[in-house]
Amino acid sequence: MMKKEKNTGRKKRTAVLQRLVLGMTAGLLAGIFSGCTVREGDSSTYQTGEESSTKTFVFGDTTFNAENGEADINPRHDNGGWACIRYGVGETLFRFTDQMEIEPWLARSYENTDELTWKITLRDGITFTSGRNMDGEAVKECLEALVSEHDRAAGDLHIAEITAEGMTLTIRTEIPVPTLINALADPYACICDVRAGVTEDGIVQGTGPYRAVSLTPDTSLELVKNEDYWNGEPKLDEITVRTITDGDTLTMALQSGEIDAAYGIPYLSYPLFENDGYTFTGCATSRVFFGAMNFESGITGDPAVRKAIAMGIDKEGFVEGLLDGNGYAATGVYPDSFAFGGDAVTAEGYDPDGAAQVLEDAGWTDEDGDGLREKDGTPLVLRWLTYPSRQELPLLAEAAQAMLGEIGFRVEIINTADHNRLRSDSSAWDIYVSAMVTAPTGDPEYFFTYHCLDSSDSNDGHYHSDRLEELAEEMARTFDVQRREELAVEMQQTILDDNAYVFCSHLRMSMIAKAGVTGLTAHPCDYYEITVDLDYE
Amino acid sequence: MKRYIIRRLLSLIPVLFGITFLSFALMHAAGSDAVLQSMDASGITLSREVIDARRAELGLDRPFLVQYFSWLGGVLTGDMGVSYVSGRDVFSTFISKLPATFLLAGASILLTVVISLPLGILSAVRQNRFTDWLIRGCSFVGNSLPNFFTALLLIYLLAICIPVFPVISEGIGVRSAFLPALTLATAMSSRYLMQVRTAVLDELGKDYVAGERARGIRFSATLWKSVLRSCMTSLFTLLALSVGSLLGGTAVVESVFLWDGVGKLAVDAVNMRDYPVVQAYVVWTALVYTAVNLITDISYHFLDPRIRLEGGRR
Repeated sequence: MMKKEKNTGRKKRTAVLQRLVLGMTAGLLAGIFSGCTVREGDSSTYQTGEESSTKTFVFGDTTFNAENGEADINPRHDNGGWACIRYGVGETLFRFTDQMEIEPWLARSYENTDELTWKITLRDGITFTSGRNMDGEAVKECLEALVSEHDRAAGDLHIAEITAEGMTLTIRTEIPVPTLINALADPYACICDVRAGVTEDGIVQGTGPYRAVSLTPDTSLELVKNEDYWNGEPKLDEITVRTITDGDTLTMALQSGEIDAAYGIPYLSYPLFENDGYTFTGCATSRVFFGAMNFESGITGDPAVRKAIAMGIDKEGFVEGLLDGNGYAATGVYPDSFAFGGDAVTAEGYDPDGAAQVLEDAGWTDEDGDGLREKDGTPLVLRWLTYPSRQELPLLAEAAQAMLGEIGFRVEIINTADHNRLRSDSSAWDIYVSAMVTAPTGDPEYFFTYHCLDSSDSNDGHYHSDRLEELAEEMARTFDVQRREELAVEMQQTILDDNAYVFCSHLRMSMIAKAGVTGLTAHPCDYYEITVDLDYE
Repeated sequence: MKRYIIRRLLSLIPVLFGITFLSFALMHAAGSDAVLQSMDASGITLSREVIDARRAELGLDRPFLVQYFSWLGGVLTGDMGVSYVSGRDVFSTFISKLPATFLLAGASILLTVVISLPLGILSAVRQNRFTDWLIRGCSFVGNSLPNFFTALLLIYLLAICIPVFPVISEGIGVRSAFLPALTLATAMSSRYLMQVRTAVLDELGKDYVAGERARGIRFSATLWKSVLRSCMTSLFTLLALSVGSLLGGTAVVESVFLWDGVGKLAVDAVNMRDYPVVQAYVVWTALVYTAVNLITDISYHFLDPRIRLEGGRR
């Protein structure tokens, strides 16, 4: 009797629990599925035929955010010009060819009448998306606003006066600026209708194939076709640019079909897209991962040590092994897409035995057999200063630590976000390794001006070469493009012969798109992504 | 009770002063600033003149204490400043992120309760049986998974393999909130269901449960009316702490799901040394925790009248 009651009680408890759990589970599932209604078009952003006549496209990008100075698409605000030109809203007077040579774009031609005067003739028949005609006066207003609001542009252009007459623009500079035309191809020089103003969200009216209609910083940009575009008919009706800062999320958004193309997919995710369903487009950019030697240091002040470092780093191995082929081993400052880049110069090749011999000959020997070389009681310790915000830099530091360790160095890595303060203290490091764009306007002078000369703000290693100073002076007054290229080669060779810098790899810029996407092509300058040619078949 | 509430609110003043000063000092101690961080991000080298001009424009060339008290003075007059990075008003930027944060916090708490309460009770009642071991095993796994991994796993399962939810947020809505909320709820439920189990087991072992059973009261009635009510105080404490943490933002989950909340805003601001935004976040977090703790303390009194608030008459 007792046993029967006990069993009955247990059954009742079980029944209560079952009801309880079932109730809760049902509630949970109801909650889930009430939010599970799949909306039409979710699986594909492309709608055709009977469903809709609107052709839409979604582009995912890791870089369109305030952190990169792209809080909006206003070219006069920080790096907003990059977003303006990349997403097809703005265009510049001149642009870069695939070989990084300058060609007219909104301009028809230009003439350098004297060292201080440039006469630019504009194309006819171009209108801003505001409806206003793009004439000399409109361009003048835009450039005047640019130099008054954008400090970097003002420093590059040195504009003293602009005069407009019909479709002709005359620019007079304060000093000779041989790179003026290059600077006018920089994204900050996107030509916008200043009278139309800038909306609260940072939207401007340009001349590009698409018109921005809404912008939410760090989230998205909505574009519609510019019906009056001057250079062909844009193929897509609407484009959404989504800011997706997390690389894994970007990967899965492309896999799920929520986006049609992506910029910034992590290297490790590339194999997921190496099939017929997707297409890749990529090329080398002038963003280079390089080390600057500290000439104040007792270690890298020694030419033999610098030479050994240059010979001891396996650039190919770094690119193929650690970057999984997603980069290009560098020789000099510029990639081979530039006329004065790639193999136009020579640098020390990877030769660990030769590097060891160089050190041995210079008196850096390992007397106690502990693997670390010494000279006059000083151990061969190399303080490698770098920073973590570029994923390749810590990898390069670790690779160098292993490679140089093989030839008798001990590499101490200082990987810190506070590198800008540390690098100004020449007693704190021996080699400073960073990632910089070496030719943002396609011209070679920029890199040397900022990094290698006595007057350079970023020459923290205090490198000096009489020959380089002479060449730089000549370049500063040389307008002839051919001669500038020759000087660029000679200047690179000078710093490479001194082993003052070691250039490890150039960034490979890649975009991945669904197989039906056409007209999306990577460009060495990294400025042109959404163009009039972009389509989805 | 009024005196108690006023005293608690007044205690917020030194707390706010202390933590804002501390966070400001830590940001400075970390080195770099918004101008240099921006230069690193773009990879374009700026001239010293441009750097100096930008720093002067943002007031970063002034001494640390001057910068702090300038910010404090602004806050006391209702001006939280302008973001160094986006150039937008900090207060309105912050306010614009709050609806997403509140929705995600609410949905996560709801899912956590829905998951952890029944499973915790079931685990307690079926103590040391297969069901109990299974639930505890799942709890262990759920507790061990980092949020970003759970997030990626859920996206893979429910947005790619079975495409019922979007990978990227479609705006502030229930559908977009479900996966991030489930991610957060997975971790929280894994902890809470064990707390629920322990609390229920404690109560089930007490004499009054045996007494009710002896008097023939149905087990379900005991469970719902006595046991669960007794467990409420400890559960409420846990949930209150979670609310504070969720309203403070969940940067990793927000980043993965592109959820436009305050957590991601704060982490981005720290990375870019955007002091005004970081300070706004610090003030917000202090207010949230103070408010949540105060509400929790007051709620104890109603959940269990035996608990008296500090300063109350016995």
